[in-house]
Amino acid sequence: MFRNITIGQYIPGDSVVHKLDPRIKIIITFIFIVAIFFINKLSGYIFAVLYLYLVIAISKTPFSYILKGLRPVIIILLLTVSLNMFFTPGGTVLYTLGPLKVTTSGLRLAVFMGLRLIFLIIGTSLLTLTTSPISLTDGIEHILKPFSRIGVPAHELAMMMTIALRFIPTLIEETEKIMKAQMARGADFESGNIVKRAKGLVPLLVPLFISAFRRADELAVAMESRCYRGGQNRTRMKQLKIQPRDYEALAVTLIMVLLIVWNRVWTW
Amino acid sequence: MEHIITTQNLSFEYHAEEQTRHLVLKDINLQFEKGQFIGIIGHNGSGKSTLAKHFNALLLPTEGKVHVKGMDTQDTNHLWDIRQTAGLVFQNPDNQIVATIVEEDVAFGPENLGIPPDEIRERVEYALKAVGMWEYKDYPPHMLSGGQKQRVAIAGIIAMKPECIILDEPTAMLDPIGRKEVISTIKKLNKEDGITVILITHFMEEVVDADRVIVMDNGKVVLDGTPKEVFKEVALLKKIGLSVPQVTELAYQLKREGFDVPLDILTVEEMVEFLCR
Repeated sequence: MFRNITIGQYIPGDSVVHKLDPRIKIIITFIFIVAIFFINKLSGYIFAVLYLYLVIAISKTPFSYILKGLRPVIIILLLTVSLNMFFTPGGTVLYTLGPLKVTTSGLRLAVFMGLRLIFLIIGTSLLTLTTSPISLTDGIEHILKPFSRIGVPAHELAMMMTIALRFIPTLIEETEKIMKAQMARGADFESGNIVKRAKGLVPLLVPLFISAFRRADELAVAMESRCYRGGQNRTRMKQLKIQPRDYEALAVTLIMVLLIVWNRVWTW
Repeated sequence: MEHIITTQNLSFEYHAEEQTRHLVLKDINLQFEKGQFIGIIGHNGSGKSTLAKHFNALLLPTEGKVHVKGMDTQDTNHLWDIRQTAGLVFQNPDNQIVATIVEEDVAFGPENLGIPPDEIRERVEYALKAVGMWEYKDYPPHMLSGGQKQRVAIAGIIAMKPECIILDEPTAMLDPIGRKEVISTIKKLNKEDGITVILITHFMEEVVDADRVIVMDNGKVVLDGTPKEVFKEVALLKKIGLSVPQVTELAYQLKREGFDVPLDILTVEEMVEFLCR
């Protein structure tokens, strides 16, 4: 029942987008998000749409996956849109529904907030769809490294993420084993109401936690005996190297940003 | 002969509760020669795993001394040199693999030692080829069998270029095929690469062609010698709850029935040779 769980939502591929340096990809995503919030005219979104279309086309990401990424946030999206629509003062009143008023400026803001959220989610899910969790972790570690002087635990965060990724399949396997063992002893995980089912999980969770702690303990000893002493003086086998394609991707992104700035400042 | 690990009057006790003290190791004096294949056997609770943890300073003696290549394990300045010299492989392969990809896990040790990236790459290739897992370098560990995982764990130690590998029941959780894979890998590392191997196990067959076998019981060394010398003591081994290799058992039973069979027969080949004479 847990076999088909995918960690993150990475779809393996070998397009240019997949091969980009994870650091560059994270930075580009960040630039994109800032740019989205910089747009103040509907015409500005043309550039964002074009840019996203380009990325999706090059990476050959199935559009259905992108829509899937939007599904969990539909409620937040609707809430934001309606709050903005009904509670923004100013402008001429277009429609009245009891105490609620839809004004021109409200409608405008609602449309903008809605579009911003949608673009934000599409942009970030494109990052996770085209980057494996491992290289994402690598990228985050490298980006945070300069901040470790001011106390950001860059290496520790990355190590925690790596170990979590490493042990997810192991613990899933273990969960299945414990479930089967408890079912053989007459445990019931499927029938009854929510309270009963939640109670039924206790015989699953207790052994799972005990075993996870034991594993953590053994792993710590094994890491120590392999000379692990935190991030200090540690080297990495895999070095991230900026390739020409990374500069190209960055250049394309900057063109998009410039177009958006031009759109905001000089066009009507 | 040069000694890689020596213990002098090593005793270790731990406090489970306030009053009770458990003396796990009692006055152990051992010298391990470089390049040898040494087996340590004993049943559960005989102190053999505790002893293993003393060999790379994971545990420190309550009394006595442990020296690894002349370095005192109590000297914290040498801690990382000691752990690099004497690598430890544990029982459960799942709980000693850190990274999500085989080659990155093998690189973990050298990375901790601060070795330049190019050299790490060379060492990873060498280590994975030495254990016969090179073609699996891009696999995630959970896709491998138990024996393969344990070989990756051994490669992770090899990549640190140790002079001695201590394996604490590396085959206890494996199926017969995995057990065979791991044991032949260890033997190859000992013969071809000259790495000192200390194999802790409760499978007697795994140590019949060792250079030396040490039997532990209740925190003490009770027998120490070549496999032939040790397994001859069938009655003593049985008394402390250990079995002997099947063929030796057969020779023992034959002798008890009045046949003139020597007790230092350890393998099927030797038995066949003796019977056909």
